[in-house]
Amino acid sequence: MMGHYLVLSAAMFSIGAYGVLARRNLLIILMSIELMLNGVNIALLAFARMHPETGTRGHVFVLMVMGVAAAEVSVGLALLIAVFRNRQTVDTGDLKSLKG
Amino acid sequence: MAIDPVFAAAAGVSVVAGIAMVTRRNPVYSAIMMLVCFLALAVVYLKLDAPFLAAMHVLVYTGAILVLFLFVIMLLNLKPEEMGAELPLPARGLIALLCAGMFGLVVLVLMSDPSIHEPLPKMDPRLLADFGGIERTGHSLFNEYGLPFELISVLILVAIFGGVVLAKKKL
Repeated sequence: MMGHYLVLSAAMFSIGAYGVLARRNLLIILMSIELMLNGVNIALLAFARMHPETGTRGHVFVLMVMGVAAAEVSVGLALLIAVFRNRQTVDTGDLKSLKG
Repeated sequence: MAIDPVFAAAAGVSVVAGIAMVTRRNPVYSAIMMLVCFLALAVVYLKLDAPFLAAMHVLVYTGAILVLFLFVIMLLNLKPEEMGAELPLPARGLIALLCAGMFGLVVLVLMSDPSIHEPLPKMDPRLLADFGGIERTGHSLFNEYGLPFELISVLILVAIFGGVVLAKKKL
């Protein structure tokens, strides 16, 4: 059943969205973004399997998403380390120097 | 409609581990839950006839990204009081409700589409041969999608420079 895969994809994305919105620990926010990207990957693979005539287009797209995720997490964690070094906190509530 | 038992088990484990991941206060437990979730998702990828991507998923996510997370968690060595205050419970409940609503909306739309209840299309053996395998994926990656592939390598190079510049104390 195709629908089940898409429901799982939506569930993963929603859980990740909750993590990004509700948590204030930068590490867990970054992990939740990974979860959201994975939800999208499942949907892409499900659609690729649904339409085999499109070949491996969906698979290539998922590989691109993985590359972007790897780049994003390396920069994100480097930012986190820089923030922690300067402010001794990973709480997004304490980071309000850009607040007007 | 019958649910495939392997898929049901993998989906259940990944959803439970995902919820545990976003609700744990200690990031170490979150990282371990992320590991469980990603391994279960690799099984889902296999069920979708994508063995190459399942292998890449385990390599990239659990092999590289998760280890990077654990490394940073150990590097920061957060004390409980440094983990920061969480949002008050009513606010978190409201956000959970919003996210559940988003999920419900997607499921509602999915269920109203009759074509979604059809089983996976039976594949033509010609198409099934090496579907999602390394040979066919690699072939289309280097022929049809050569430019995006090269651009991804540029992106990763920029990310390497960015990571070094940001995380290094003195350049």
